[in-house]
Amino acid sequence: MSGGEEKDMLAAEYVVGTLDSAEREAVDARRAQDAELNAAIEAWESRLSAWLTEYEPVAPPPHLRAAIAKRINLSQTVAQQPRDEPGRLQRSLNRWRTAALTGYAIAASLLAFVIFREAPAAPEDHFVAVFQNDDKQPAFIMSIDLESREVIVRPVTAEPAQGKTYQLWIASDQLGGKPRSLGLIGDATKPTRKTLPYDSELLVAATFGISIEPEGGSPTGTPTGKAIHGRLIPTNE
Amino acid sequence: MPITAKKELTEWLARCATGDRAAFSRLYDATSAKLYGVIIRIVRDRARSDDLLQEVYLRIWQRSGSFNPDRASPITWMATIARNAAIDEVRKSARQYHTVDIDVSDVPDATPRADAVIEQSEAWQRLEGCLETLEQDHRSVVKQAYLEGLSREEISTRMKMPVGTVKTWLHRSLKRLKECLAG
Repeated sequence: MSGGEEKDMLAAEYVVGTLDSAEREAVDARRAQDAELNAAIEAWESRLSAWLTEYEPVAPPPHLRAAIAKRINLSQTVAQQPRDEPGRLQRSLNRWRTAALTGYAIAASLLAFVIFREAPAAPEDHFVAVFQNDDKQPAFIMSIDLESREVIVRPVTAEPAQGKTYQLWIASDQLGGKPRSLGLIGDATKPTRKTLPYDSELLVAATFGISIEPEGGSPTGTPTGKAIHGRLIPTNE
Repeated sequence: MPITAKKELTEWLARCATGDRAAFSRLYDATSAKLYGVIIRIVRDRARSDDLLQEVYLRIWQRSGSFNPDRASPITWMATIARNAAIDEVRKSARQYHTVDIDVSDVPDATPRADAVIEQSEAWQRLEGCLETLEQDHRSVVKQAYLEGLSREEISTRMKMPVGTVKTWLHRSLKRLKECLAG
């Protein structure tokens, strides 16, 4: 069998659905790079699509409508963020302050507050957050891939501080609203990669922060230290 | 599927891409029974289908901007997303729980209802016509594999054929189908 034919049969089996899980994943990954394979898949989808008419409609349980709307609203908050920034930022700020004060911290202590905004040219599961220090240059930029849950925190103007370390936090209503540590940003001169233990639905609605902490991280489990808050930078302008 | 004009579905998808929730609600009301029908036929489990329907609509919402009306009809595009998600789901769970029993008597007959045949499109008639060119025993299985998302193992059980032979057989059948459709 020639290479092209083999590819075509792989596409055909992918569309019919007979491949196993690992093979399907491999095709999903490959088709993004392989235009020929992608075209073959689309051709097979089109060839067999007339059979889609044979699926009999089945009314879904009514409660699913509201459940889906709720999830759409969560992602809507993200996509439509620009017009609601000040309110949301204030709420985030309050949440972090309350959380820090109800902990052991004497002062609320965040270097930056961020809310996710979708980057315009990025794939749909990729978001960028900017951690800004006063009105100056961004201190950190964080990118996240919701599919793999991997974040990359890149320092921009942030510099390593003597005897101090940067610590990354997440706050979400689903986690009780109190910031939880996502670990230290060990080396503030290089990008730090982390895979987060939370699902994309939680992540998409969460607030993230970075604080300056003593070496080894916050001793209290909540952000401590000098408080600087940031603001959002639109990434699509 | 409710008879909602292609034009309306296309319009709603375009509005979803701009973040229009009202358009999404209309799209959901017009298409959810169809997509649930796709999912449940493949997944064959209510609770898992309920979860999956949510995932599928979230995906449709997020990908609405990439829908291209020149390439597929809106319902084909949406049903394809649902079908792919359902097949992924059953393949993954088959890997986790190796004992998913398929009771053949539970499986709906792939033969279309007589009244449905009359309503079917030209494309459907062409596809069915080409399916007729396959050996008799093989026809229904190719179509069942598509409609129910059968694995090679499940096909092997239905065809009473070794798993190793299924791939060869499938490729031969699909190639013939392709040639016929091109002709």
